[in-house]
Parts: sequence; structure tokens; C-alpha cells
Amino acid sequence: MIRYDIVICGIGGQGVISLGTILKLAAIEEGVSVMGAERRGGAQREGSVTSNIRYRGLSPGEAHDERAMATSGLIPAAGADMMIAMEPLEALRHAALLNERSVVIVNDFPLIPVSVRIGERAYPARDEIYARLRRFTPHVHVVDIDGLSKQNFNSLRQVNTVSLGLASALGALPVSEESILATVKQRFPDFETNKRAFDLGRSASGAATHGR
Amino acid sequence: MHPLGSREKGTTILAMGNEAIVRGGLEAGIGFFTTYPGTPASEIGVEYMALRSEFPHLYVEFSINEHVAAHAAQGASWANIRAMTAMKHVGMNVAAEVLHFAGYTGVKAGFVVVIGSDPGATSSTSEQDDRWYSLHTHLPILEPATIQEAKDFTALAFELSERYNLPVIINAPSKLCHNIGSLSLGSLPATFRVKGTFERNPSRYINLFAGSVANHRAGMTSARRLADDAPSLGLNRVLSGAGRTGFISSSINYLYLMEALSILGVSDAPVMKIGMSYPLNAGEIAAFARGLERIYVVEDLEGFLEYQIKRLLYDENLRTEIVGKDIFPDYGELDVDLVTGILKDELARPLPANVQRTAALAAELTADIPPRQGAYCTGCPHRSTLYSIVKATERKVIFAGDIGCYTLSCLPPFRAFDWVTCMNCGTGIAHGIMHTNQDEEVIAYVGDSTFFHSGLPNLINAVQNGTSMVLVILDNKWVAMTGHQPSPTTARGVRGDTMKPVDLKGLLKSIGVTYVRTVSPHNIKQTIVTLHDALAAKSGVRVIIAEEECALQAERRATFSPPEYEVYYQIEPERCQKCNECYVDFGCPAIRSREAGGDFHYYIEESTCIRCGACHDLCLNSAILRTEIKRPGREAAS
Ligand code: SF4
Ligand code: SF4
Repeated sequence: MIRYDIVICGIGGQGVISLGTILKLAAIEEGVSVMGAERRGGAQREGSVTSNIRYRGLSPGEAHDERAMATSGLIPAAGADMMIAMEPLEALRHAALLNERSVVIVNDFPLIPVSVRIGERAYPARDEIYARLRRFTPHVHVVDIDGLSKQNFNSLRQVNTVSLGLASALGALPVSEESILATVKQRFPDFETNKRAFDLGRSASGAATHGR
Repeated sequence: MHPLGSREKGTTILAMGNEAIVRGGLEAGIGFFTTYPGTPASEIGVEYMALRSEFPHLYVEFSINEHVAAHAAQGASWANIRAMTAMKHVGMNVAAEVLHFAGYTGVKAGFVVVIGSDPGATSSTSEQDDRWYSLHTHLPILEPATIQEAKDFTALAFELSERYNLPVIINAPSKLCHNIGSLSLGSLPATFRVKGTFERNPSRYINLFAGSVANHRAGMTSARRLADDAPSLGLNRVLSGAGRTGFISSSINYLYLMEALSILGVSDAPVMKIGMSYPLNAGEIAAFARGLERIYVVEDLEGFLEYQIKRLLYDENLRTEIVGKDIFPDYGELDVDLVTGILKDELARPLPANVQRTAALAAELTADIPPRQGAYCTGCPHRSTLYSIVKATERKVIFAGDIGCYTLSCLPPFRAFDWVTCMNCGTGIAHGIMHTNQDEEVIAYVGDSTFFHSGLPNLINAVQNGTSMVLVILDNKWVAMTGHQPSPTTARGVRGDTMKPVDLKGLLKSIGVTYVRTVSPHNIKQTIVTLHDALAAKSGVRVIIAEEECALQAERRATFSPPEYEVYYQIEPERCQKCNECYVDFGCPAIRSREAGGDFHYYIEESTCIRCGACHDLCLNSAILRTEIKRPGREAAS
């Protein structure tokens, strides 16, 4: 049976939802069944946003089993095969979804919540956040995705595609690189730039800091 | 082409639960749709609106409130056009009067009512379970669990509505409305009914005296007929299994239950999935219960299924133990983890080792994470208005807020809310408080759409009764919180299309408000001065219209017609006194802090600044500079 669950977490306005949409459309492209709910605030920004991507499918010759295939919109505790976190604190906030085998990709770019801004709470040191994440799983990849996008494309617009490249290189996704790129082509303007961003993500996966 | 309008039967598309409902309506030949936008059901109206270009026969309306929307759909149904109205769960309170009669009168063409419910109140001020209404409206309720069922049940609901002469409710919780995944399409009708024909039906439509008694009876009879037929409709299903312990569930809770059972390694328990939670068929429930010692009922909130099942089994003389709300919470939202945690104790099954390990780590390592609550968008006019209100009053007033994006003012940094309940609770409750010889002044604030939804009667009542109150109408021209549907004050769409807005000032004048001022919220100094003036005027209802388009819409508009001048705001570090006004008290997300050489300074992140100018206006140290550059090539382009 195909079973692969990805949680994407971040902050309103960071493109969490559209990143999830690409990964889901790739499943439609591939003929894999997909579902997953989104948690988002209203139209406003700054709140926590998550997208659940739950791939399901039968292996060749496998019979449909209603009990095994019943899949809700939310990934249960310890159930995420992959986490893509667009912000360090949000990775830790959703760490209860991780298990020892989970692959975690964290964008090393903190955004300060209002509770910290007004001095009521403190933002933990980043090294402390990553050390805690590594208690859940050894497969934590810290990448300055915002920085990569800014350096290479002079804008934050490619953050999503760089993340897709990282995800496709680091996880055993049931959707192929080709399907992901095909949906990127359909959904984002300027495919050439996005393809470069995707490749950048793929090559950055090797350089991702394990020791930070 | 809109993917929801596809004529290719059998293709699989990516759709949200709400979009699946839209498609179900299309497959059933819907011709009329109304809604007052409300999360989690808002996207239904948005998609129908978008489909109108391909399905020109469709009438789609963003109505002024749910009562109006439900009446309109009832009218279309009576004129023999299949009709749907959609609302969030609390909208049912507003539409309840209409829908209580809809069972009395019956329908002509199929009439479907979609209710987006919100257990856990993740985007609402309450989590009421609307299913209970049906015990007295007698309207059937279908509860889809998956995206596919959301479509299939909606299409079937139209048929059932006609066959049983009752409006049919689709109850979809937010985690289904916003579930996005694979949807396999059915076929669309070859033609849609375009022209309505209203046929008089006085015995059902005129509800007076004995006639209303007869219709009350007729509605209940229809529901009983549907209950009798329930087992043949294919909406309820049994997964047979072994053992003396069974499970009954509906909606997405069925999926939570199935995942929980599989996590706990229970692979063969008998499970009944309820697709139609009202009316239930006693024989069908009894057939499942017979031979079982205990049945767990897994559902959200107060236990609507459990209540009915206990009653039905009592009449069937079955004494199977029914366990529901004595172990599952009757508040908040269930999920897989909650159901797993409760059933592990009940069924004496251990949690898998990896789940235990993660739970222990999470308890140790994630408890102290600072919360991240929503904040106003960058450049939001509400931030500017609320900042001015807090500054002008120094918090020495009663804050009567309301429901909309501005409800965020409950949270830091503003905390300028003294209560929030239902729509127009601000002016309504303030009016009562102010007639109890209060020493404090009250400032009420309400958005344009909420005000028009049901605030006009409150205001007229306050004016007539001489209530002392400052009311700020936050006129941002859109129903912003639910994704920017037009409001009665919308004058221009983002692409420049024009609409017919209500003359708000003229309206206020005609109901007797003599004090009306208009301010531009980002002009902070002017807004504060006006608030002082209104407070000083002391008596009667004084209205300030804070008029500025929602920043997100203004931004969208700018992409279609860019302004002639490019404006920049920058913080001059030498002048900045780090007084924190802009960074903390105002809190624009584009204003950030950067460490430099053991010190820090504030700066404006240019890529997110929306150039509203409020910070420039509020900085008392003139540290925020404004630069204006004429856009090159503008003349050539235009
Ligand atoms: S309001 Fe002006 S002086 Fe105060 S922190 Fe902001 S820029 Fe600096
Ligand atoms: S002008 Fe100032 S207040 Fe307005 S968006 Fe930019 S930084 Fe924020």
C-alpha cells in the first residue's frame, strides 16, 4: 500500500497552502489518491498555518481494504513521514507529528510572533530548537531557504520551488520529480526560473546542515 | 475552464470539500444559490460565482444575511428551480425561523441547506451543533465523511428533497470543508432548467391556525417516511466484524475512529457508518446492535446520534450498552489522537511504541513554545483604527467590538474588546449597558458587512432611545475575513468593475444619526482628533466611518492598475528613539528589529511594506521618512 504523509507548517502568507497544492496536484498527475486538511486563520496574516498531505494508493495487485484506506484530513501523532517547516518555531510546534524516521526540512529563517514582539514570551535560540527537533528524529535538515531564494533570484518568490526540490531529494515521496515539475509548470508563471529553483533545492539537499 | 465545471465524467480532480459540494449541486442541476459568507462554508459561494460565466443560467447571490439567503432559496425551490443556501453553523440561528417553516411548507424543486460546522470553534465564536435543530425542524441531515461523499451526498440530497418534500441539510465540519484531495467527477445534466414556474399551493404555503397544525403534521410525516426508507438509500453502511463490541460513527469522526482502531491494532470490530444522521431507522440500528454487548458512539459535541440511538433501542427493547459522551468530550473537536487515547483505555490496548515515545518527547520539549496568534495584515486599516481608538481613549472606555477581522483586537497588542458573542453583539449589548447609568463611555466598532447583516435594527433602536455611544463603522468595503466577498458598501471590484454601493452616510442621516464623521484610518492624527471630538460630544449616537479599503484588496487592485508614484517608507536610525510605538503598540509586521554590533535598530522590510503611511503619521519623532518616486515609463504605458 502507498502511504506517505507530509505536514507543511509555517505562517500565513508564506505559501504553505500553495506548496501543499502542488504536492497534491502531483498526486492527481500520477494517479495516486490524496487528501489532507488545511488549518488556516481567516484572511489575516501572521497566524500558524498547516497543510496536511496524505498520499494513499494500492500497490499493483493489492485488493481495496476499506478499513486500511480510511484516511482523515489530519495526520495523527507520530504519523508524519516528512515535515516541511517554513519557520523554525513552527517546526517545533508540530513536532508531536514526528517519529524516528521522519524527514524534517526547516527553513532557517525565524519570524517573530506577536507574543515575543511585545515582550511577553521569548523566542528560543535556534540551535536549541534544532537540538530539540533532533531528539525526535535524526533526519533534520536545516536550510536557509529564504536566503537561497534571495541570493539566487533576488526575491522570496522562489522559496516554494526550492522547498519542493529539497523535499523531492530528501524524502521517498510517492510522486515523481516529473509530476511535481509538471504541476509547477501548470501553476506558477516563468517555468525556467522555477525549474532552476527546484534544481537549486535538489542540490542544496546535499549541503543541508546536519550538525548545526 | 473551471475544473468544477468539467463535463468529463470519471476524471479525477483536486478539490476542496466545499468545492465537492459545489460540484454535487451542479451534477444535480442546481439553478439558484445564496449565501452569507461564513467560515468554513465561504468557498462554496465563491466557486459558484466563478462558475457563472460557464453556467449562465445560475443565479448566485451573496445575501445580506442567512435569513434573507434562506428565504430566497426557498422561493426558487417553490418556483421549481433546484436551490441551495450555504452558511456557517451560527448562521443557522439567523436562518432558523425560515427553516422551521420550510418543513411545514415542503419544497417544489430540491432545496439543499449546507451548514459548515465548526467543532473546536477554530474560526467562530461558538461551536454549537446544529444537528439538534432537526429534532424540531424535522429536516433530514446528511453527514459526508470524505471529499467524494461531499459531492455524492449533495447530489443525492436534491433527489431526496424532492422525493420526501423536505429541505435536506448537508452538515460538513471545517475539517471536511477544508480537506483538499482527489475527487472523481460524475456527469452533469445535458441541460439545466432555466425558467422557474411558481405554482400556488395555499394549503402548504399559507400557514395559519389549523393549516399550520396540519402542515406541522405533514412535515413530520415526510420525515417518518424517509426514516422508513433509510435502509434502502445506501447512506448508512455496516462493516461487519467479530466480537461483542461495536462502533457507530458519522462524518469525519468515522475516519478518526477507523484510524484509531487501526493504530490500536483492532482490525475486525463491527462498525456502522451513519451517512444520514436524521432521521434514523430504528430497525436498521437495532439490526446492528443485536448481538452486541456494547456500542461506542463516536461523534463531535453533545451526542446527537447517541441520544437518538438510546431512544430507538429502548423502544426496540434492546439493552445494548451505548457509550458515548460519558467518555468522549461533549465540547471541542475530536481527532485521531483523542479517539485513540480514549479507546486505548476502554479496549485495554497499548499505544504503539513510536507513538508513546513521541508523546513523551512532545510533553518534554514543546510545552514552552510561544503562541503565534493571527495579527492584522500589513497595512490593514483596522490596525490603524484600533491603534487610534486605544490611544484616544487611553482604554478608559467600554470596548464593544464585533465579529469580523477586527475581532483580532481581542489579542495583543490592542486587547480592546470587552465581549464578543454573536453578530452585532457590540452595539446591541452596549445599548443595554448604557441605559444603566454607566459612568464610562462606550466605543462600539463594527465592520460594514456585519453592520448590514443585522446591525441596523440595533442602531435605529439606540437612536430612538437616546443611547449614548460612539460607534465606529470600519468600512473596508469587503467581507474580508471570509475571502473578500462584496459587501453592501463595495463600490469597485479589484479589476475596476463597478457596483452599486449603499449610501452609508445618507442611510445614517435618514435614521436620525446627527453626528456623522468620516476619517481615513491611516491618517492617525486626524483619526485620534475625531475620536476625541466624538467622545467630547457626550450624548446620543455618534458615528465615525473609518473608510479605507481592505489592504489585501487594495494590493490586488494595484497589480491591475499600478499607481503613478512609487512610495517608500524608511526608518532613520539616527532619529529613532526606540520608543516602540510603531514596533509594539502599533505592531505592523513590516516593521522589524535587526541586531547590529551589540545593539539593535528598527527597520521597515520593504518587500512586505504596503506603503499605507500609518507609521509615518504616528511616529512622534519624525523618524519614519517618506520618499516618492514617479514610476518610470508610466506615460508611455498609459
Ligand atoms: S515610532 Fe518612531 S521613534 Fe518610535 S520606534 Fe518607531 S520609528 Fe522609532
Ligand atoms: S507604511 Fe509603515 S505601517 Fe504601513 S505597511 Fe509600511 S511599514 Fe507598515
